[in-house]
Amino acid sequence: MKKYLSIAGRSLNDRVYSLLLTIVVVSVVASFMWPALFPTFDNLSQVLLNMSVQAIVAVGMMLLMVAGAFDLSVGSVVAFIGGLAAHLMFYNQVPFIVAIAIALLAALIIGLINGLLVAKAGINPLIQTLAMMGIVRGLALMISGAGIEGLPDGFNAIGQSEFLGLQTPVWYMLAIVIIFHLLFGNTVFFRRYYYIGNNEKAAELTGIRVKRMKIYGFMLSALLAGIAGILLVSRLGAAMSTSGQGMELNVITAVILGGASLSGGQGKIVGALLGTLFMALVGNIMIIARVSGYWQQIILGVILILAVLADVLMQKRTGRIPKKFKL
Amino acid sequence: MTDPRRIKLETRGISKSFPGVKALQNVDFGLMEGEVHVLCGENGAGKSTLMHILSGNLQPGAGSIFLDGEKTIIETPRKALEKGIAIVYQERSLTEELSVAENIFANRQPTNKMGFIAFRQMNKRALELLNTLSLKSISPVTKIKYLSAAQKQMIEIAKALSTQPSILILDEPTASITETETQLLFNIIRRLRSEGVSVIYISHRMKEIFEIGDCITVLKDGQVQGTFPVADMSEDLLIKKMTGRHLSTHVTSTKAQQSIALEIKKLSGNGFSDVSFQLYKGEILALAGLVGAGRTEIARALFGADPVYKGDYFISKQPASINHPGDAIKKGVVYIPEERKDKGLFMQMTMEENILSGSIGIRDRQRVHPGNKRSAATDMIRRLNISPPLPDRKVIALSGGNQQKTVLAKWLLLNPQIIIADEPTHGIDVGAKFEIYQILQTLAKNGVSILLISSELPEILTLAHRILVIYNGKITAALRREDATEEKIMRYASGIENMYIDL
Repeated sequence: MKKYLSIAGRSLNDRVYSLLLTIVVVSVVASFMWPALFPTFDNLSQVLLNMSVQAIVAVGMMLLMVAGAFDLSVGSVVAFIGGLAAHLMFYNQVPFIVAIAIALLAALIIGLINGLLVAKAGINPLIQTLAMMGIVRGLALMISGAGIEGLPDGFNAIGQSEFLGLQTPVWYMLAIVIIFHLLFGNTVFFRRYYYIGNNEKAAELTGIRVKRMKIYGFMLSALLAGIAGILLVSRLGAAMSTSGQGMELNVITAVILGGASLSGGQGKIVGALLGTLFMALVGNIMIIARVSGYWQQIILGVILILAVLADVLMQKRTGRIPKKFKL
Repeated sequence: MTDPRRIKLETRGISKSFPGVKALQNVDFGLMEGEVHVLCGENGAGKSTLMHILSGNLQPGAGSIFLDGEKTIIETPRKALEKGIAIVYQERSLTEELSVAENIFANRQPTNKMGFIAFRQMNKRALELLNTLSLKSISPVTKIKYLSAAQKQMIEIAKALSTQPSILILDEPTASITETETQLLFNIIRRLRSEGVSVIYISHRMKEIFEIGDCITVLKDGQVQGTFPVADMSEDLLIKKMTGRHLSTHVTSTKAQQSIALEIKKLSGNGFSDVSFQLYKGEILALAGLVGAGRTEIARALFGADPVYKGDYFISKQPASINHPGDAIKKGVVYIPEERKDKGLFMQMTMEENILSGSIGIRDRQRVHPGNKRSAATDMIRRLNISPPLPDRKVIALSGGNQQKTVLAKWLLLNPQIIIADEPTHGIDVGAKFEIYQILQTLAKNGVSILLISSELPEILTLAHRILVIYNGKITAALRREDATEEKIMRYASGIENMYIDL
């Protein structure tokens, strides 16, 4: 019995499990309080659909945060890359497959620029990606202005079809999360990010090409944001230059709830999904409960603080003696 | 027993426990006025805990402290300062971007009537203090970041002395400073002693203990093994007291082989120039020199961590192009860096993750198969006798010696041909030190070549087959161990003599 308790204790120390437990508890409570509204297939599949774009972006953010960096430009990239694909299809009559390819290439280039300037030139990621956030938002406004509608049916089908009763974006989200989760857990390439996030200098002296890995990280983050942007345009059937505004901070919140740390070296990809799911559920429940939208922001802020606080307290309790007093 | 001097500080029956460990048990410790009292013991013996109790960072679980004969409680570090106890920690406490004076008077800056910092007055006081410490080359307005490691250490000491303490605690103060500065520090300590200040001096270095100490208290497993006048102590006896074992140093006896493992010709890089040497298979070649002579720079360049400007590099007689540590590792060259916590280890990760990290940066057939990860890590832990033998234990929870063995384990898993070891026994206790000597000697016997960088001459004279002395980024001497003495090495290391006349 004691053994099981200690396993349970250790599992709860892992954010993935404690967050999963919280999600289950919140869902059960909500199901009892609003049995007609919350636990329905329609409602829950809508929650999943609404979170899908953000969850895909969160996967890239988790990757970067494990490596000890982050990317504030993702929200702008979502708008710009979606807008670019729409622009190519609508104004230049480019076939949608080609338009998507070109747009994703543009995303990779944005990531490459971020990566080069952070890793090689040594600009702080906060400043670099903050600047990029503004630049790319400007490009998005330039390219899709008041919005682009009337996109090819084939393109719209990508995000507006159903498969096994769920909207396709949900499936894309799950596929991306599962693929990256497995890659992160099992390949040497992605494991390197944990070492980099834990101790960059030691990682370099262990033979890891830290700069190159960081550049790849920013490129993957931008690529995933680009995929999310295209999916969003396809789902809505329209590109809007304001989409994704403020998304970067929501994504970072979700990823930290999902177990990442600003100092790097921690987190699992599935945590990005769970963090996003948790935020989506809280939002959904508040709408059902007719709580005002302002409160939603306040409550999410409080939850974030509580989650990080719980971590700090947990670490103290499990007897990790502060470094200074180490024996 | 009559002692004309007064007892300045005394602890009676101090005990302290942490979850799972009895850090101190019933410790009686007495410090006389105006004496230099050396505290020694292996890592984990309780030195730091005792120090933290005396400086108010920790409260004792039992027992009491007497200061000038009166029972006292030291609640906080601030209270300790008020009671005249100042401490210089091993970790740096300086703020890089602020000036020397502001660091010395950190949080105690003199202010004028308006409550603003009186910079002129502060700088003047700092200058006076620096002058009394013979640190005339340092200006009080220089930013800390422009100082050398040794100068920073001296500023730490100046900062402690600025409170005019009656008890000064120094924790491994010479770990990062050169011989010259050590002598300067000792002069300061001697002067303080003559002024009646009591000094608690914590060090692993035998030579210093006997040079500066008046008496020695040995701690082992949280218990006092005894307090002895330095005059009655010998190195052998001290080691025996500290470790409970009798450790004898075996001088490396094997011969290096004839084939060349590594050769560099006229290599120049950041901090060194025109360095040429050969490293034979199975040889331990030492790079001796003062801190800052360019030894670490040479090592880092050989490992691909820093760029090489010009020169040729051969591994097993094949020209090698090494632009990144990953290239070096692929060619069987590995590097044990100087600051293991900062550069060698992933402190928050487990021992297993650390041990297996060696191959993570390279594409290599030697990479451990995922299914064998656990057994590969546990084999290494057993082979190097790392304790506790728990692969899931985070590295941060290990002692310095076991951390260093973890760094070694990570590389040994790759079967390297050449090991560059930069101060491999820096700051680790005597027991672990000898174990690391044995590991290096065994490796050499099995044909691995080792380039050893060390500032401890006895270590070099124990391990090395040959010694290269570096001064100012150049080789000034190549000596066989049989021909080398500490004095000889020091003469070449300080640039007084040079075997290679190149003017």
